[in-house]
Amino acid sequence: MVTLFGKRFRLFRPRSIWIRRVVQWFFFVLIALIAVNHTLAESGMEIPFLSSASLHAVCPFGGVETLYTYLSSGLFVQKIHDSSLVLAGISILIAILFGPVFCGWVCPLGTVQEWVGKLGHKIFKRRYNHFVPTRLDNVLRYARYGILIWVLYVTATSGSLIFEAYDPYFALFNFWSTEVAPTALIVLGVTLVLSVFVERPWCKYACPYGAVLGITNLFRVFSIKRAASTCKADGACSIMCPMNIPVDSVNVVRNHQCISCLECTSEAICPVAKTVVFTAGGVK
Amino acid sequence: MILTSKPLAFSLFVLLFGGIALSSTLGWWQTESTKTPATYTEGEFAGLANPADIRGSYTFGDISNSFDVTPEMLAHAFQVTTEDPAAFAIKELETMYLDSGYEIGTNSVRLFVAFYLGLPFDTADQEIYLPQPATDILLDKADLTPDQLAYLQTYTVDVTPASSTDAAAEPATSEEPAAVTESTQTESEAEEYVVKGKTTFGELIQWGVPQDVIEAIIGADMPDPAMKVKDYASANGLDFEVIKPALQLEVDKVVK
Repeated sequence: MVTLFGKRFRLFRPRSIWIRRVVQWFFFVLIALIAVNHTLAESGMEIPFLSSASLHAVCPFGGVETLYTYLSSGLFVQKIHDSSLVLAGISILIAILFGPVFCGWVCPLGTVQEWVGKLGHKIFKRRYNHFVPTRLDNVLRYARYGILIWVLYVTATSGSLIFEAYDPYFALFNFWSTEVAPTALIVLGVTLVLSVFVERPWCKYACPYGAVLGITNLFRVFSIKRAASTCKADGACSIMCPMNIPVDSVNVVRNHQCISCLECTSEAICPVAKTVVFTAGGVK
Repeated sequence: MILTSKPLAFSLFVLLFGGIALSSTLGWWQTESTKTPATYTEGEFAGLANPADIRGSYTFGDISNSFDVTPEMLAHAFQVTTEDPAAFAIKELETMYLDSGYEIGTNSVRLFVAFYLGLPFDTADQEIYLPQPATDILLDKADLTPDQLAYLQTYTVDVTPASSTDAAAEPATSEEPAAVTESTQTESEAEEYVVKGKTTFGELIQWGVPQDVIEAIIGADMPDPAMKVKDYASANGLDFEVIKPALQLEVDKVVK
């Protein structure tokens, strides 16, 4: 900030939350290294000082999938370990405080979709992320809850990770392994292609774990809030939102699709200071 | 209280890695199986290892450490040919049987161990296939309930694993589920003239054991020839383990 003629001007205002990119890169590289190390460990060539855990062991959704089996019999479903339950617990705690930060900051599949989405943004400019008709989009947004119910049901009745055969996240970090089902590779491929047209299509329409964390948007402690008194109603926040949430038309974002990326806030796209903020209290 | 991106990133790292560190301290952070299955928590089997918790990462040796089943028997049951059965990881079974058209893997081993040891195992709504040699062992050595026999009848398959080179393994004659009856008994097995759990009275007669000798051993009239000796024994309160050596003795006399 500089002061000229008694007025304060911000010379440089970032249009994106750069630290989120750093965090996303960090977790992408971390998970990729763990996945590679898991493969290397099977042939005795493990990289020292790095976890060689299976991808299932470091995925919090495994903790959700095994919950019924664990509570009813004290056992885990196939391939799931205690660490999955721990991660699920931590992720839920973080989500209750800050919303689905896991989706917006940590999940490597979300990160990859964003990277592919940059290509779509360059090709389609403002049309990008606005191809799906609103009515259809509104209905499809709830499909992930249907998928969540299906996954929980088939996992509970079979005791196996049935979803693994369709999981693009597992396919992304195990595409070199024979463990990956062709269906999972197809789902990953479709997700990446759709990412050229729609931002985070898997997260919006299909991710069962996003569905779980999305529920916390309804009651989380820190929320995105808009100060109507200072809002210029330029719609920048809504345009920037990767999940197409109409931030400029609400005072508090309680949309189940918010991923707490902060890209709509005054720290990023909103041109007016302290107008769209991430806060636990109220706004003026 | 307004939170900006940097404190949020910091909080995320603290909560995530702090939570992992805390759980690690408490012994909750387990990213791989301890190779020791969980135990039954209630009922008459409380405290015993639960086959339902056998993992794909277990080797036959790991299973042998927790259950009274030898690696060699498991290798024979699942047609695994290796010089070190104890080191064979059961997750490799799925790849071995990939071309068979049937999913034979960790669940199959769980089922086998549970049935073999007479431990509770929920098969409801599950299609768990066993290769014929595994079922043969169960029929011979396990004390199976009628429900378990019916399950095996439906889900036993006569398949040969792709990577198996075991000359003793039965050739795949069909990819349809094999019925657990005398008709599935191969010639080589029949020629062994060994009294097993699935041996019928008809087979004993066929091998040359006189009817009156059989009647003397069982202490009753000859039952239906299609009836298995083991089934007859359990239905009439006789100990199969007592009848079996007596009958085997007579079989050995006539087939010499």
